[in-house]
Amino acid sequence: MIIVILLVIVWTIICIKPKKYHFILDENAKVSKEKTKKLEKGVYKLLLKYSKLQLDKFVVAFFMMIVAVGINLVTPLLLGSATTLLSREIIDVKKIIIIVVAYLIILIVACVIQYYQSIILAKAGDKIIYQMREDVFIKLEGLSIDQLNKTPVGKLVTRVTSDTNALNDMYTSTIVNLIRNVLTIVGVVVSMLLVNVRLALWVFVSTPVVAILSIIFRKLARKIYRKVRKGITSVNTSLSENISGVKLTQIFNQETKQIDSFKKVNNDLKSSYSKQILLFGIFRPSIYAVYVLTISLLFYVAGNDIINSNFALESGLIVIFYSYIEKLFTPIQNLAEQFNVLQSALAAGERIYEVLNTKPDLVDAEDAFEVDYLKGDIEFRHVWFAYEDEDWILKDVSFKIKAKETVAFVGATGSGKTTILSLIVRNYDIQKGQILIDGIDIKKYKIACLRKHIGQMLQDVFLFSGTIKSNITLRSEEISDFVIEESCKFVNADKVINKLPNQYDEVVRERGKNFSSGERQLISFARVVSHKPNIMILDEATSNIDTETESLIQDSLKKMMNIGTMLIVAHRLSTIQHSDKIIVLKKGQIIESGTHLELLAKKGYYYSLYQIQYKNENNEI
Amino acid sequence: MLFGKNVNRYYFKYFHLLIVGVFSLLLVDYIQLLIPENYGNLIDLISSKTLTSESLFEIIYNMLFITLCMFTGRFLWRIAVLNFGVRVETNLRERMFIKMESLAQDYFQIHKTGAQMALYTNDLMSIKNCFSDGIIMVIDAFFLGGLAIYKMIKLNLLMTAISSIPLVLLGISGGIIGKAIDRRFDARQRAFEKMSDFTQENFSGIAVIKAFVKERLELREFVKINKNFSDKNVSFIKFAVLLDVLFTTLISSVTVIIIGYGTHLIISTNGTDSAFTSGELIQFISYFGLLTWPAIALANLINIHSQGRASLKRINELLNYHVSVKDAKDCVKKDNLEGLIECKNLTFRYPGAENPSLQNISFTIKPGEKIGIIGKTGCGKTTLVDLLTRIYNVDENHLFIDGIDIMKLPIKQVRDLIAYVPQDNFLFNDTVLNNIGFSKKSISLEEAIKYATYACVDDNIQEFPHQYDTMIGERGVSLSGGQKQRISMARAIAKDAKILILDDSVSAVDTKTEANILDTIHHQFKNKTIIMIAHRVSTIASLDRIILMDNGKIVAIGSNDELYKNIPMYRDIVNLQHLERGED
Repeated sequence: MIIVILLVIVWTIICIKPKKYHFILDENAKVSKEKTKKLEKGVYKLLLKYSKLQLDKFVVAFFMMIVAVGINLVTPLLLGSATTLLSREIIDVKKIIIIVVAYLIILIVACVIQYYQSIILAKAGDKIIYQMREDVFIKLEGLSIDQLNKTPVGKLVTRVTSDTNALNDMYTSTIVNLIRNVLTIVGVVVSMLLVNVRLALWVFVSTPVVAILSIIFRKLARKIYRKVRKGITSVNTSLSENISGVKLTQIFNQETKQIDSFKKVNNDLKSSYSKQILLFGIFRPSIYAVYVLTISLLFYVAGNDIINSNFALESGLIVIFYSYIEKLFTPIQNLAEQFNVLQSALAAGERIYEVLNTKPDLVDAEDAFEVDYLKGDIEFRHVWFAYEDEDWILKDVSFKIKAKETVAFVGATGSGKTTILSLIVRNYDIQKGQILIDGIDIKKYKIACLRKHIGQMLQDVFLFSGTIKSNITLRSEEISDFVIEESCKFVNADKVINKLPNQYDEVVRERGKNFSSGERQLISFARVVSHKPNIMILDEATSNIDTETESLIQDSLKKMMNIGTMLIVAHRLSTIQHSDKIIVLKKGQIIESGTHLELLAKKGYYYSLYQIQYKNENNEI
Repeated sequence: MLFGKNVNRYYFKYFHLLIVGVFSLLLVDYIQLLIPENYGNLIDLISSKTLTSESLFEIIYNMLFITLCMFTGRFLWRIAVLNFGVRVETNLRERMFIKMESLAQDYFQIHKTGAQMALYTNDLMSIKNCFSDGIIMVIDAFFLGGLAIYKMIKLNLLMTAISSIPLVLLGISGGIIGKAIDRRFDARQRAFEKMSDFTQENFSGIAVIKAFVKERLELREFVKINKNFSDKNVSFIKFAVLLDVLFTTLISSVTVIIIGYGTHLIISTNGTDSAFTSGELIQFISYFGLLTWPAIALANLINIHSQGRASLKRINELLNYHVSVKDAKDCVKKDNLEGLIECKNLTFRYPGAENPSLQNISFTIKPGEKIGIIGKTGCGKTTLVDLLTRIYNVDENHLFIDGIDIMKLPIKQVRDLIAYVPQDNFLFNDTVLNNIGFSKKSISLEEAIKYATYACVDDNIQEFPHQYDTMIGERGVSLSGGQKQRISMARAIAKDAKILILDDSVSAVDTKTEANILDTIHHQFKNKTIIMIAHRVSTIASLDRIILMDNGKIVAIGSNDELYKNIPMYRDIVNLQHLERGED
């Protein structure tokens, strides 16, 4: 019988071997079996590695737990002997006093142990998770933009916050409870057998029923749980985007349509919840019924035995078994749920393992160096570049830009203008060719140094929540108020800012939504200027800014002494017509280059662009 | 259990669930207490050596009956009460959503997206708890608890009193520590939210952080936030563990008290008529065991209820929020609006703002006219077109459509008249097809291609992995600004309204594409009114008339020609953008 039970326990543990979910940054990737195994191994290694940080504490907690489980097993015996003593005609008061005192001491010991064990574990878990969270954040922060862009922001946030939290529970409670429950079950089984073998075996009749019920339940529960999770996610996704898009919905008169589609996801969630309730509604009462039936069985068998023994067996026997049955059922029920928790913790562990094992695309070369200043000579030598495989975005691009020159890139959407700019700051590495700044391959510079000296005005302006000032300095304390104001004057943002009630301390809400796109561009322009770059990259930097302000900005940029070279991408030809050189791109190749007038004289692609804008502008003059 | 203006209706609406749930809970509670009775009986019969097969059978028979009742009762209350909670949650969520869709911008300006989401998640959860767990706890705490205490008193009053002392202590310390735990829990929650917010912003703005090499500074900030959470976490756990340990210890200490005092009772009453038996002692311990849950339930109930009340208050704020933009009582219905826009001396302030954003604006736009709006950043261009869609209220008798005050027209009719391409190109997390067909019940692929071609974005869409079935979210990050702009434009064109407003919609579009779009506007949309905000003169020069704005006022209205001749400010803009001619 014991063997049967042990087998059942082992079987349960085998069954709960975590099912594989894959949380590689690219979720659709199918992972081979071999890789899964490697992943699994990696997760355990990772969890072990972190637990080593607090190994001593775990060992202490483990021993404390064993003591606590032992104590827990003694109490029914005490209660049983007390009952037996009290049932007798002559009551031995001394013995009862001993029992009461023993009970009291055990209680106090258990209390102290329980307290310290929990605190030790909690602190150890907290320390581990603190470290892990920092490691994950550092890792993610060091990945290239390309790598990060492949994963939605929400998922990245989950890695840092929720996934690590799930592991915290695992370190502090899940594993401990699991071990405690298994030990308790084994302990109760052994104690019962020691007290009365025949009765114990009868009681065990019900355990396989409970085990089987739990396993079936666990399987179904997992399925439904996933459905519920999915339902919650779709409700929340629908909510958050409808909150963001409410203005649009109203303008398009589509409230009813949006409400109807929300009702659908909302009701889907409701029916998933109902299914979950039904499942629990059957499982929990069933387990309880088995419990009461086991007690009835105990009463019947023990009662008969007592009658047959002509009351040689005493009532304490029933009391002891009654308490043990209680102590047996609670952990069995909990086991099923704890394995679920463990499983989701392991899934979180996998996701964290994936993150920590991702290699950053771009790293500094070993002999990379820093410079204080970039003059601004830029050269592309036969550069070939593709984001993926052989899908070439740039094909054999070569050009030279001298320091202090202003150069513009022109071409249709997808011609490779923005790509060229992002290659200069090493957001990606090229496949073939060479990019040189001041005659040195950019791979020789430290990435941080390169980016520090190159000011980037990006196409998608991003403002952080905070103040205008904090958005300009980006936490750099060395940028003084004077520099901030000067930079704002330079880009003509001061006029907008001075109108605000709190001026430079005006609050910027999430993503800067309390400013118009033009104002956002001005603020981020000031941000670039305040960081005093040597080379300036402007990618559609003034598209939402009016022409007058734009030309003022361009004039001031020219006056800025620190700026060596300026690279511009813009659709408005008026923005770029005065550049020293205009490079025209088409499908990843340079088709012509020269000054505005030279290119017009060539009557090529640029001339045709010019004709279009010129015609629109002058058709009525 | 939670009562309040917006939730009382649920007690009636889902009365059937409530009644089944409450009755089966009462049944379960009553039956449950029969187990100790049978248990004690058995022990007594054994102690007095009077147990017979017949009396044993009776006890077993009782136990089987109890099992059956308990299974049925427990099943029923789970299904009824828990579903009651879910229904309340679902219905409330739906009502909140419907309300949200009807609110004007003034609500959204004060309430951050994150805070609004918290209403639907945390607050709704705590209300659901009140309606499911709350009901169970009320009944168990009072009925089961009361019944257990009653039965204990019947066994022995003094022993009941003595064993309740730890319970009272528990209640008091639980109350005090519980408050401290709540505070610490809140602090931890806030620290967690701060961490989420920080990482959210960090990864959203990662391009900027990398461009400015701020990784190290960001990390320093993160370490601070991480440390803060860790501190708050430990301080919460310390108290939670304390309460937990105190609880179990006090409860088990009662067993010691019962054995000690019980021994005294058994000895002192031995041989008398009202002798206290060992069976009764066991029965008493069992009753007490059943009393722990009601005690926990009572403590939790207070907690759940106060959380629920706070949540309901916040949800009430949403549900009772004043809808500021709504149809006037004396609404004027006109069958077919032509789209004649007249603006007379319009001045507009944003709700709560001191300075007006628009001052003394007057103009008329006839149906079918093509109008451009140009002006400096922040001069009120977007505000002006926003007002045409009745997103904000304006003062009466200043803005007219077809000669009727816009405030008197049904909002739906006004918005049906207008198709709008907003500046921020918000797209829904749906397929490209459904985004383009947003204004319609459904849209065929052919139609979508037609509108996308008008907006010059069909070529791009055809290159997407699943063409028109591509999910925006999937590719969201790699959709360029220009592509988003043009999909948003296709969406507006698909609405096929008489007035089409384009707010800086071609800023991220290359010259050739822009020319194609302008061509479409002139030739395909001859009958439509077009209002186009732009910065490039080339975008608007060919339109019928141009409104030049500065600082919330209209400087001049006229054709490109007229403005160029008469208005120096406009001439400056043109000259700044003027392209040097080639030498041909």
